[in-house]
Amino acid sequence: MVAHASQVETAGARTRLLFLLLPLVVFLFIFLVLPMLGLLRTSFLPGERAFAATGFSVEQYVKFLGDGYYLGVLAETIGFGLASGIVSLLIGFPVGYSLARLPPSKRRWRLIIVILPLTLSLVVVVFGWLVLLGRNGLVNSVLVGLGLFESPQRLLFNRAAVLVVLVQQFLPFMILSVMSVVTQISPALEQAAANLHANRLTTFRRVILPLAMPGILSGLTLVFILSASAFITPRLIGGAKVQMVGSLVFEQVTAILNWPFGSAMAFVLLVLTLAVTIGANAALARMFISRGITRGA
Amino acid sequence: MGLDPADRLLGIAGWIVRPLVYAGLCIPAVIIVAASFTAGDALRFPPEGLSLRWYEAALSSGPFMNSLWTSVKLACLATIGALSLGLSAAMALDRYRFRGREAIRNLTLSPLVVPMVVLGIALLQFLAWMKLNQTFIGLLAGHVLITLPYVVRTLSASLVLFDRSIEQAAANLRAPPWRVLRLVTLPILLPAIASATVFAFVTSFGNVTLSIFLGTSKATTLPVQIFTYVEQNYDPVLAAVSALVIMVTLAMIVIIEKLVGVEKVA
Repeated sequence: MVAHASQVETAGARTRLLFLLLPLVVFLFIFLVLPMLGLLRTSFLPGERAFAATGFSVEQYVKFLGDGYYLGVLAETIGFGLASGIVSLLIGFPVGYSLARLPPSKRRWRLIIVILPLTLSLVVVVFGWLVLLGRNGLVNSVLVGLGLFESPQRLLFNRAAVLVVLVQQFLPFMILSVMSVVTQISPALEQAAANLHANRLTTFRRVILPLAMPGILSGLTLVFILSASAFITPRLIGGAKVQMVGSLVFEQVTAILNWPFGSAMAFVLLVLTLAVTIGANAALARMFISRGITRGA
Repeated sequence: MGLDPADRLLGIAGWIVRPLVYAGLCIPAVIIVAASFTAGDALRFPPEGLSLRWYEAALSSGPFMNSLWTSVKLACLATIGALSLGLSAAMALDRYRFRGREAIRNLTLSPLVVPMVVLGIALLQFLAWMKLNQTFIGLLAGHVLITLPYVVRTLSASLVLFDRSIEQAAANLRAPPWRVLRLVTLPILLPAIASATVFAFVTSFGNVTLSIFLGTSKATTLPVQIFTYVEQNYDPVLAAVSALVIMVTLAMIVIIEKLVGVEKVA
């Protein structure tokens, strides 16, 4: 009787599960899996047009990976990802740490400031920087006003400006992931270290940093991926001088209409970000395992 | 102990870095809002005089108001779509153990880490094959795809903490399943649903990186309209329009803060 009831229950559960999940699975299959497979196929087409093209060739990948110019752009893309991640860590860690240790009442407005750039439209943020760094912008007014320069300087259309804007956009991810991990580190540990006459630097290096590593790593990964995928920011802030893989893809597909080459570059970018994600996840898993072992021993 | 030079250096560094970071994070938004009130004809600092003339110009500009309407409509529909797909899926992922569960979860969350430019051209090509390019439906599908991760993540986080004995108590009192859902489950999940709604709306409303590929000539979203405008020239009308976007976004964040606290979203 009981067994019978659970049998029906299982069949019912299966129907309910299907009913709950099927719409999502169908949607993801149509609008995510199929388009990605389609793009992968296009990236292996020969020639410069996808329309009515047939055949299978790796010439697009050879073109990208065998050309100094494109490899340079790829290196620059990785460079922007790394630089943006490291700068975000250096300036984001103190902020994330202090947010975690603040009482909730003091945290509120600071958190709103941190979340605003995440939710605000990217073009609006970029436009703000264009106004700020422009010839008649605030930064130039201050520089000239202080007598540092005779006339307004050209602050836009260089790598440094792109880096500043990328960091400003993605820094919140670093702050939030550091904050969430530090929240879980008991302040008692820091007091214990202080009782053992460790100064704050030692406490930071020997206690906080190892425990906060998972948060730091996931923050770094996110900032790297988002910065390396940027194409609006390099286009508007960097101008013609700063090229990243994302902006090349955008150009190939929307202006030059070379879909096979654009798709191949897109896949190189995807593989780069996926490799970083998978690598970071593996490192995180290892961290938890080694920590589990030390705790067990 | 407080006299340790390394400690003091660390303390001073923190004192300098933190205010600079907060200032840096909000300065683009502050600059735009400040510039939008200028009475002059150019975006410059300090602004020349104070006026609302550029807001008047923005509100009477056909292209901007049409695209604002498109963006609001799109964000509402995308939110409804993402919620209806995401709520049931989050329930299924939380309450059932089955093969492929992790795969489905990862696939749902993947638009967060797949570069938007890759997703954009993949969808653009696919929609063209389906003869759905340059249609509102195609744009909407893309927006549902990118708002889904936020919905599923927010709801999953809340479902993990859900005390199922409350549902069982209701069932023991002979409430039929749909009544348990309506009177117990959904009300408990309401704060999470509300914050997922607001977050999905804001994500769709502000998106430019996907819309730039899927946008239609008849219906341009506001961020894409701003993008095309910025590429050519920028004047105070753009500052006024952007200031409106900032105010809407800020209002949404404050709503989340009032409903559940911003910490939950992060």
